[in-house]
Amino acid sequence: MVIDAERCVGCQACTVACKTENQSPYGAWYAPVIEWESGQYPDATLNYLPTLCNHCEDAPCVTACPSGALKRRDDGIVIADEDVCIGSRACMAACPYGAIHYHDGAVSVSGSPAEPEPSLPERYAHQRHTTGAVSKCTYCSHRIDYGTENGLEVGVHPLATPACVVTCPAECRIFGDLDDPDSNVSRYLAAKGPEQVLRPDARTGPSTRYVGLP
Amino acid sequence: MNNPGGAPSQNAFMDQFSLEPRAQRVWDLNHAVWFTLMGLGGGVFLAGRGLNLTDGLGSLWGAPTVDAVSFAAIAVGGAILVADLGRPLQFWRAFANVRTSWISWGAWSDLIFLTVAGLLVLPGLRFGDARPFDSLGWDPHGGDGPGLALEILAGAAAAVVMTYAGAVLARPRSIPYWSSPAVPVQFFLSSAAMSVAAVLALEVAAGVAVTAGQMVLLGLLATALAAAVVAHLLTGADVPGKRESLDQLLRGRYRCFFVDVVLVAGTVAPALLAFVGSLAGGLRDALAVVCLVLLAPSGFLLRLITLRVGIFPPVHIPGRMPGGRAVKPPAVTRP
Repeated sequence: MVIDAERCVGCQACTVACKTENQSPYGAWYAPVIEWESGQYPDATLNYLPTLCNHCEDAPCVTACPSGALKRRDDGIVIADEDVCIGSRACMAACPYGAIHYHDGAVSVSGSPAEPEPSLPERYAHQRHTTGAVSKCTYCSHRIDYGTENGLEVGVHPLATPACVVTCPAECRIFGDLDDPDSNVSRYLAAKGPEQVLRPDARTGPSTRYVGLP
Repeated sequence: MNNPGGAPSQNAFMDQFSLEPRAQRVWDLNHAVWFTLMGLGGGVFLAGRGLNLTDGLGSLWGAPTVDAVSFAAIAVGGAILVADLGRPLQFWRAFANVRTSWISWGAWSDLIFLTVAGLLVLPGLRFGDARPFDSLGWDPHGGDGPGLALEILAGAAAAVVMTYAGAVLARPRSIPYWSSPAVPVQFFLSSAAMSVAAVLALEVAAGVAVTAGQMVLLGLLATALAAAVVAHLLTGADVPGKRESLDQLLRGRYRCFFVDVVLVAGTVAPALLAFVGSLAGGLRDALAVVCLVLLAPSGFLLRLITLRVGIFPPVHIPGRMPGGRAVKPPAVTRP
């Protein structure tokens, strides 16, 4: 995935699209947009940084995980198998980005007096996610798999593209095969480069690349 | 904050991705306890065998006292580790990823140690006058071939048990303060110093005189630990993330605990006392006990504070060129 940070308008549509698509657990946002001010009047600026799992080539979460719950698929997507996860949280300490979330079941689906009544997505999250396990962005691998199985072009057809990419009104996210020089994502990088990554010091080989980072 | 253009206001959706240095909240007190117990357990076994003190210090639960203390520490540490998992009933999956995960290595080394060291001491177990496993064909002190083989295997597993917690922290590059070989070295040396002091205290309790050589060994281990800690503090002080860790350790909230308690009172002082004890025979036993009283809490605090000053650098430092020069941020392009 390539994220053109200059195009982001900070609407958080990607954040919400991800939340509803993946029904992530309470408090877990797989794709938040960081927002900050810089400069001083009259040159003040609002900056936005869309984030999500970097799906690293040398993924430290995969290396650190003792149970093998974190896996890197052949297509480069890093996934967390919640049924295999034992909740050691080693992946969370190893991830330089803070892209992995631990679900401890803290919010009661019954809505105890001490807790606010959970929202509908939170209720579904409790049904869908395993308590005591980690979860993370999967680049909407279920959509990628659906597209691949049905002959849809990944990153182009909306049903074969991550929800955050489809939803972004500013089209600042581009998804495709970075190994294919003719893919939409490679062509975008070639036109708008140079590419940048977050936490280059961690040397993890992120598959989420950026252009125009503030 | 490193943004020269103004203070960032992170929005309400922010969970962990951060433009601020962010302290890890994943591991804390429970982990510090089991790190300490594992280090102590492995170290007491090695120290007891290395100093040839398995006999003569009495017995506990039918086994030599040093071995019993070692097994108990590792068993309790392991139980805390399992209880701290998000899904403790799935703990057996921790053995799966031996190819890359130090936690898996640790799980295997704990299991191998408890199994092999347990087998090793089995023929020597006493219950009253009975020795029910006496017929097993090896010397529990490693005096014959099979006994020696078991002792070497158990010793190697004990060495991994003492070290792997540090390696778990040091392997990823996510937290610069942890990402250094100095961390497992510190954990190993701290475990070794604590364990030798514990074994010497058991000697005192059993009425056996502590020797000058044993105190020199203790002094050398504590000195090496102090050197490892100081060397780690002096390297990479400007690296984002480690800089903030060092701020907390040397000037911030942990200064008193780390500098005064861990480094001075808990490492340098026992080193000096051990060397003094090696020269002053009359004070030796008392100083050995004092060294344990100083080293054990500081070993625990070393691990706890190391966990708490684990700080992730910002995922991105806005408005900075790679060399660190501040530049004016570009204007946002509206689509």
